[in-house]
Amino acid sequence: MFELEATADMLLPTPQAKASTDTPETRIEVVLVKAVLDGDRDSFGRLYELYAPMVHGILLARIPRSEVDDLVQDIFLHAFRKLHTLRDWAAFGPWIAMIARNRAMDFYRRTKETVEVTEDLRSTDMQTSRANEILELIRALPEAYRETLILRLVEGMTGPEIAARTGLTPASVRVNLHRGMKQLRKKLGYAEGL
Amino acid sequence: MNEGYLWDKSGEPDPEIQELEQILGALRYQPKPLDLTDEVQPRSRHRYLPLISIAATLLIALIAGALWLRVRTRTVPQLNHAGIESPKRQQEIPNIDDKKTNDFLTTATGKPSREPRPKVKEIKHSRTLEASNMTASERQQALEAKEQLMIALRLTSEKLNLAHRKAQGSSPNQIRNQHKVG
Repeated sequence: MFELEATADMLLPTPQAKASTDTPETRIEVVLVKAVLDGDRDSFGRLYELYAPMVHGILLARIPRSEVDDLVQDIFLHAFRKLHTLRDWAAFGPWIAMIARNRAMDFYRRTKETVEVTEDLRSTDMQTSRANEILELIRALPEAYRETLILRLVEGMTGPEIAARTGLTPASVRVNLHRGMKQLRKKLGYAEGL
Repeated sequence: MNEGYLWDKSGEPDPEIQELEQILGALRYQPKPLDLTDEVQPRSRHRYLPLISIAATLLIALIAGALWLRVRTRTVPQLNHAGIESPKRQQEIPNIDDKKTNDFLTTATGKPSREPRPKVKEIKHSRTLEASNMTASERQQALEAKEQLMIALRLTSEKLNLAHRKAQGSSPNQIRNQHKVG
């Protein structure tokens, strides 16, 4: 048996993802997006509540923690302005996830990787310090694994929830979780040995 | 590793995963209100649908009108340019420059006194007749009257020429000949 390398392609929604996202939650999305476009701003607040943890997790997998909160707000404001460009209202989750990934890439283009990720480690709290260490280990994993693992372990989402909100197939999420966890265990064992 | 717990938190909890969840939970998203007060309401694409449909209808109407005008203006000049007349029109309007009139106006030298009018002028002439809303018999009478008037004018002109030449002392034969012709 051989293991496939995780690539960014594993983060792309597939045609099968449409069926997987056909949950009551996606139907709520359609209602909420329609309401926002009809002038109801409170409905966007509901979308924000539903998707802010996912966007937070996606950003946490890529950029320094100190920048994440501001960028989450920025992404949702951008999404609010551009909501009329969203063709498939049920695909709000994959759409905003893609915005978050693009914004994370833009962040590094703008700062030209001058931001030191280690600044996150300057924490006085022991638990937060340990959390930051593990986060760094997860960030060292392939892209597909780190995002899924952070959504599962940090944001507390289940596999089906991750699939429904990101637009990935449940099978892809399952594989990402399994392989990512396997690699993280190895790394944690190596870290613990130091 | 408990796969079920990792996937959907079902089954027996995995102690390692639980520990990781507890530690990493410190980094979890802390809800913050989103301030949309300064944001402009996003445009609804459906709001523009009636405007787009009205604009499209107007555009189609304009294009159809322009095409119709173009076809209409093209056919009329083509007929005029080629000198084509409808059979009906040819029947209604007699040709005043026919052979008989030309023979009548022929001078002693055998040349016609006037060149026959071009067809385009005839068409213009027929248009004015059409526009006057005259009946066929009235039109015929008018044309005959016009023809008589033209002959009278030409006779007068010839007589004036004769008088002019007589005053200048020209030969009587010549005058007589001219008189015959006139």
